[in-house]
Amino acid sequence: MNRYEEAFKMAKARRESALIPFAVAGDPGPDAFLDVIKAYVDGGADVLEIGYPFSDPVADGPVNQRASQRAIKAGLNHSLFFSLVKEIRSFTDIPIGLLTYANTINHLGAEAFCKKAERAGIDSILTADMPPEESIDLDTQMRKHGIGRVYIVSELTPDDRMRYIGNRVDSFVYVVSRPGVTGADAALSSSVKTTLTRLKRVTDKPAAVGFGIATPKHVREVTGAGAQGVIVGSALVNMIEDAVNKGKSPARALKKRVSELKAATRHA
Amino acid sequence: MNKRSTKAKGANTKSVKSSRAKPSKPGYFGRFGGTFAPETLMPALAEVREAYGRFRDDERWQAEYGRLLSTYCGRATPLYEAVNLGERLGGRARIFLKREDLNHTGAHKITNALGQALLARFMGKERLIAETGAGQHGVATATAAALLGMECDIFMGTVDMQRQLPNVYRMNLLGARVVPVDSGGRTLKDAVNEAMRDWTRTVRNTHYAFGSALGPHPFPTIVRDFQSVIGRECREQIRAAAGRLPDEVVACVGGGSNAIGIFSAFIKDKGVRLTGVEAGGFGLRGSQHAVRLTPSPYSRLGILHGAYSYVLQDKDGQIADTHSVSAGLDYSGVGPEHAHLFESGRANYTYATDEEAVGAFRLLCEAEGIIPALESSHAVAYAVKHAPKMAAGSVVVVNLSGRGDKDMDSVAKFLEARKK
Repeated sequence: MNRYEEAFKMAKARRESALIPFAVAGDPGPDAFLDVIKAYVDGGADVLEIGYPFSDPVADGPVNQRASQRAIKAGLNHSLFFSLVKEIRSFTDIPIGLLTYANTINHLGAEAFCKKAERAGIDSILTADMPPEESIDLDTQMRKHGIGRVYIVSELTPDDRMRYIGNRVDSFVYVVSRPGVTGADAALSSSVKTTLTRLKRVTDKPAAVGFGIATPKHVREVTGAGAQGVIVGSALVNMIEDAVNKGKSPARALKKRVSELKAATRHA
Repeated sequence: MNKRSTKAKGANTKSVKSSRAKPSKPGYFGRFGGTFAPETLMPALAEVREAYGRFRDDERWQAEYGRLLSTYCGRATPLYEAVNLGERLGGRARIFLKREDLNHTGAHKITNALGQALLARFMGKERLIAETGAGQHGVATATAAALLGMECDIFMGTVDMQRQLPNVYRMNLLGARVVPVDSGGRTLKDAVNEAMRDWTRTVRNTHYAFGSALGPHPFPTIVRDFQSVIGRECREQIRAAAGRLPDEVVACVGGGSNAIGIFSAFIKDKGVRLTGVEAGGFGLRGSQHAVRLTPSPYSRLGILHGAYSYVLQDKDGQIADTHSVSAGLDYSGVGPEHAHLFESGRANYTYATDEEAVGAFRLLCEAEGIIPALESSHAVAYAVKHAPKMAAGSVVVVNLSGRGDKDMDSVAKFLEARKK
């Protein structure tokens, strides 16, 4: 059984959804990033989602854009990225998902990228600007190297396309809570439940909801709507930025926040 | 994968089989292009693709587009023989200027903006968004939105807003909102990022009118088709004026819409040399330029804003910021059809530096009484450099894509800085 199957199975057995916190690799610096990830794991993360920083992240809002800029400035490149993932693998066995952009994969080439990702211990890749139609090469390489595919669906995705994407996914379907870019919202879109219901009619792959999820209340709502996973990104990255601005380490506050979010994944 | 093909270098035009450079698989020109877009945009891109097919075949809408092009834009634009300039350059080549600068709003951009605004109306969208660099596409889109009664937001880098202040005022007067973009290098690339982000949020009621032949499929094709009227007019006009097809057609290339527009009518005429001129900035030694199709350590195959093409990047695959004296050529990527024309050898690409462009700008002002846009001045600079060496009686067409009134401040600053 691969790490994702195990993580979702264990969460189900505990009557929970899986909590998936996100951070940008190398933000705010290589060591501080590892502290962030340790805090996530200690706080009870079931799965990790790590972003590869890109100069032009069109699917990201201002918080993650700034995180990418900090990471690039702190020297994040391919070799540092893979060595950081290896470090993470030395202290946890939970699944590690990579969120990246097409140019980053293309820069190394799909084959070299997947080979290195497998060696580092990455379990899945989602390429934000590479729909399944453009991912034929990458898919082949990912399958060859045992890396799970993740694609996005939204409320705008027609049923037949949801089915097509469901068939192309291995690890989980990434359901965005609303159209638009990443970023924490005050209130969750009411359409999440409808989107999840539509998705479940066409695929039995696990569904994880992301974009806009910031609070334990949002996590409860998404879990209640039937998601097997809940992804929290910008809300946590915001805390990292706050700490950086105050010259403090974010680790302690992040661990506390993640444990609060985790507690909210329990089924009612 | 990201190794530059050397095939194009010195390849001769005889080897080009597909004369029309049609996409080889949907959305591709050779191996360039594609649909590298966030999933949220995929249904919208499918909608645009489908609607554009019907729009193109709809006689009523096409008649309306034609009526606006002639009575509102002032098409056909004239083809003018720059006799004084030709004489100043040794009198060997006859130089013709395709006067896109005489379009309403001062550049070729209005041709595409009107087409896309009509397409948006055809699809039932109420709001238009666009990116702009020099401000010409922003002004054109704001103009089309005003004409068709649409809401309009224009995304513009704050560096460009400073360089092109009169165009910011113009857009405001036309009722558009100019959204300042403060990320990255704060120029065209960053404005496209922000427009794409807006579109993922607002896709239900909004059409994104890409201003150049770039972005995800179908935009490179749509923009090329709208701009191809430049080439069709020019082909007819040059035959009437010179009695034959030209030896060479020259155009500046930022994203590449004016160039692909004029090239498109001549691609199958293998005797016509097609030359694209990129922004050489301070020259190729550093990264202070926007030259994607002449080999340099910064230009690699990559994916930017939805398309696979040549993209300026650093050694880690992060997109490089660019520099040009002209805001409209200051872009890290290049339209995918140009990448294909480059690699197939059908078109040639070179560059003009800031210095050469401003020199050509001044020469055209003095010799012809025409103030060209700094973008178009790059194409003029090519003619200035090469006309003296051409065979006597050569016929060259330079696409004068826009007028230079917007550039007074940039030119003054450039000349001032050089004095020091």
